[in-house]
Amino acid sequence: MTYAIETEHLRYRVGKAFEISALDLRVPTGSIYGFLGPNGSGKTTTIRLILGLLQPVSGRITVLGRPMPAQYARILRHIGYVPEQPHLDATMTVRELLDFQAAFYAQWDRPRAEELVQRFELDPGRLFGRLSKGQKAKVMILLALAQRGELLVLDEPTDGLDPVVRRDILSALLTYVSERGATILISSHLVHELERVCDWIAVMDNGRLITESPMDKIKHGTKRLVVTGAPAEIGNPPFQLLTRESANGAGEYWVVGNWEPDMTTYVESLGASIRDVIDLDLEEGFVELLRGFRAKERAVRV
Amino acid sequence: MFHGIDPRSPIPLYVQIAERIRLAIATGTLGSAAPLPSVRQLAAELRVNPATIIQAYRDLEAQGFVEIRHGAGTFVRELAPGRRARERSQQAAALVRKLLADARRSGVSLAELHRALEAELGVKTP
Repeated sequence: MTYAIETEHLRYRVGKAFEISALDLRVPTGSIYGFLGPNGSGKTTTIRLILGLLQPVSGRITVLGRPMPAQYARILRHIGYVPEQPHLDATMTVRELLDFQAAFYAQWDRPRAEELVQRFELDPGRLFGRLSKGQKAKVMILLALAQRGELLVLDEPTDGLDPVVRRDILSALLTYVSERGATILISSHLVHELERVCDWIAVMDNGRLITESPMDKIKHGTKRLVVTGAPAEIGNPPFQLLTRESANGAGEYWVVGNWEPDMTTYVESLGASIRDVIDLDLEEGFVELLRGFRAKERAVRV
Repeated sequence: MFHGIDPRSPIPLYVQIAERIRLAIATGTLGSAAPLPSVRQLAAELRVNPATIIQAYRDLEAQGFVEIRHGAGTFVRELAPGRRARERSQQAAALVRKLLADARRSGVSLAELHRALEAELGVKTP
C-alpha cells in the first residue's frame, strides 16, 4: 500500500500547555480518511504540520512521496486545502477570486469551476464578504476542486452548515473522487457524515493518536458486551478492553475493540458468560474509545 | 429504490446497497438488460464512498445478477426462470427473521406478534 500522507514520530509543541507527540499517521493513497477528535485535540495543528504551515520540533512528514516542509512548494500545488475559517479576500467578487486563484495553478480546471458555479448556484458578481456562510464554504470547496489536486485536505468543511449545503458539498466531493481517484483527508465533528463516506478513520485526543484503522474494522469490531461472573483481573485478552463498568446488578458492561465472534470462548475460559453482544455505531464507538483512552491516561498519571 | 440506507447499521453499506438492487431485480423494478446508475452518479446521490458502490456492483456480478461491461456500465443480466421468485422468497424470509429478532429484543411474544399480524392483514386486505 502507498501512502499519500505519512508522519513518523512527529512532535510539535506550543508553550507548555499543548504538545503533539509521537504522531504516526498513514493515509492510504485513494482513501477517504476521516479525522476525528474533540475540540482542541490537535487535528487542525496536525493538518497545518502536514501542509508545511508549521515546523515540527522533530519527526518526519512525507506528503505525496516528498518530504515536508523541505519541498513544500512542489507539494502544495497538488493539494487542495480548505481551512476551518474562510481565508479569502472579502472585497473580491466570486469571479475575481476564481481568476485570481487560477493564475497560481497551471492545471486549473476552468470547465469544472464554471460547472460548480452553476451547480452551487453562486452569483459570480457578488462580493465574497457578502456571501452567506454556506455560499462561502461552497466557494472554498470549488477552488480546492478546480486545482485538480491529488490530495484534498479539508478541515471541518461542512461543520455548522445546513443539511442542504452539506449535501451539495459532499456530492461534489464524491463526484470528484470517482472521477480522479484522489485522496481526501477530512476532519469533522459530524460523525454520521464521516460514517457514510470514509473508508479509514483516525481518532486524536490531547495531541495523540488513539486509533487509526479501516472503517469496517472499527465499526464491526467495537461492541458492548453484557458479561456476568467475570473475575476482577483479566490477563491479556485477544481484544481491546476499553471500558468496564457495573450494569446495576445485572453483571457488567464491557466495551471492547477488535472483537471477533469466536472470542466468546476466551471470555468463557475466564469463567464468565456473555449475555448479549450489542453493536455500536461509529459515534458510540468514538465516545467509548475516548473514554477508555482517558481512563488509562488517568491511571498512568496516578 | 435506496430509501432507508442506514450508515449506522452494523450491516455494511455495500451489502445494504447490493440488497436493494437484488430486491429491485427480483420484483422486476429493474428488468433484464436495464442499466444500473453509474458509480459516480450513485456515490454522489447516496453520498457514500465510490469504493462502496464498486464493491456492491462486484458482489452483484459475482452472484450473477449483473454484468459489468468496462467502459459501458453495469447491466442487469437475464435471469434463469424461477430465480426471481426464489430471490423474492429469500427476501421475504429475511424480512421475517428481522421482524422476529426485533420482537425478541423488545420482549414481544410470538403469540402477540401473531395476533398483530392477523389484525394488520385483516384490516389491510379486503
